[in-house]
Amino acid sequence: MSKKNKQQKSYYDRVHGWGRISTLSALCVLLMFPMAICLYLGVFPRAELVFKGLLQVIPLYWTVAVVEVVFYTPMLGAGGTYLSFVTGNIVNLKLPCAISAMENAKVKATSEEGDVISTIAIATSAIVTTAVLAVGVIAFAPFLDTFTNSPLLMPAFKQVIPALFGALGAGYFVTHWKISFAPILFMLLILVFVPTIGASTLIFPGIIASVLFAFVMYKVGFLDKKEKRQK
Amino acid sequence: MFDNSSLGLYLIAGAVILFVLGQSLFFLIKAWKHGKEMGIDKKKLKNAVTSSALFTIPSALSVLATVIALAPALGLVIPWVRLSVIGNITYETVAATEAIKAFGITTGITEAITDPEVYAGVAWVMTIGICFSLVILPFVAKPLHKKFLNASKKAESEVTEESTSTENTKETDTPKKKRSFAGFMDYVTPALFIGLIGAFVANSILGAGKADVALDGAGVLSVLTLVTSVIVSVVLEIVSKKFKLTWLEPFVMPIGMIAGMVVAVVAFNVLPESVALLEWRG
Repeated sequence: MSKKNKQQKSYYDRVHGWGRISTLSALCVLLMFPMAICLYLGVFPRAELVFKGLLQVIPLYWTVAVVEVVFYTPMLGAGGTYLSFVTGNIVNLKLPCAISAMENAKVKATSEEGDVISTIAIATSAIVTTAVLAVGVIAFAPFLDTFTNSPLLMPAFKQVIPALFGALGAGYFVTHWKISFAPILFMLLILVFVPTIGASTLIFPGIIASVLFAFVMYKVGFLDKKEKRQK
Repeated sequence: MFDNSSLGLYLIAGAVILFVLGQSLFFLIKAWKHGKEMGIDKKKLKNAVTSSALFTIPSALSVLATVIALAPALGLVIPWVRLSVIGNITYETVAATEAIKAFGITTGITEAITDPEVYAGVAWVMTIGICFSLVILPFVAKPLHKKFLNASKKAESEVTEESTSTENTKETDTPKKKRSFAGFMDYVTPALFIGLIGAFVANSILGAGKADVALDGAGVLSVLTLVTSVIVSVVLEIVSKKFKLTWLEPFVMPIGMIAGMVVAVVAFNVLPESVALLEWRG
């Protein structure tokens, strides 16, 4: 085994070790939060009512959790995966940051360099989000409502998603135009028939279609040469 | 009636958030050190921090807006923790609404919860509902990641072999290319990203919102914002490449994003209301 391979193996193994410990610790801390609230307030909610609420939430969100872990892990890299799932807001914050940082650094998501850049981007994003939320909640709580609901700024906050994914997609679609147009057309077609599907659900058929279309294009030779010349 | 913004509750929330912050700092330092060990240019590492921080601020403000949206019913403490740990904008609002409903309250997230039992119950539902990914992650992340890496490595070695063999053939020969599944791995990550980004782009063009909520569906404003951020990003990308402005590269996407949001504000305040608020799918 070459020195590089050894180093790579030990880096990934170390990251998975830290990730496992920190994820399980985060789970304990997270579950202690409602427990601490109960102890602090001196009340324990009736179990049947909590179960009733959970029944509405678990079937969908636990399924989504499994799907998200399977789909996002390859995109986030080792360190990025553990950090992203603990800090949340994966689709609207962590993944875009990781993709953008890897694009800027011109590194592949599957390379060790890509893993390092992705982890740095996601950690930075998590720290900035935590700081923005903390400052917002602690210092500006009384004025926040006026700020985010002001008629002047409200449209900006309502259009965060198109702005974010437009900026992110621009570079990506230009670089990978060949494998971009078919899945986007497919998703637009889905929206013609099911306009209320929502982007967070559309992601899954979108990702499957995108990989399948790319596979077909690769097999028929549509991705040969030109796609490589761009690199 | 209890105080949902008492110092004690803030301290509990603060402890949870400090833990998450500590974890992020730990991974940041480890990745940075490893990057330096690998010989990655320090500038690349710095750029990753700068562009991510800039890229995050506008979205973080919209996450903050969700915290505020949940505040009338739950105060700031629960939404603050839920959106700092695992949470996401779409999930938390639905989970809070369902939890409140389960306790027989019909006003949803619009009115303050005055019963501490309901308050604590909502905290349990929102927490247990979202935590499943943390339960499975320690078991599946490593094998999944390794499988993906192995497939990519296999692809890379096959591509190297292919290029070596084609180098040995004459240019006039057109050897039939071997397109193995492993070779396809090169396209899997871009395809995954395109599926993800494309879903939001397509939804901004044709997605429907709720009938009673303004500006949540595709319409004049969402398309204007999308087109602006695309154009500004592409133009800046071209400019930074053409004039070799490497300092500009980490700012391209954040500027593109902010430009889109600025155009949304300008269009909303300049265009006639009927046009600015138009959503074609409702």
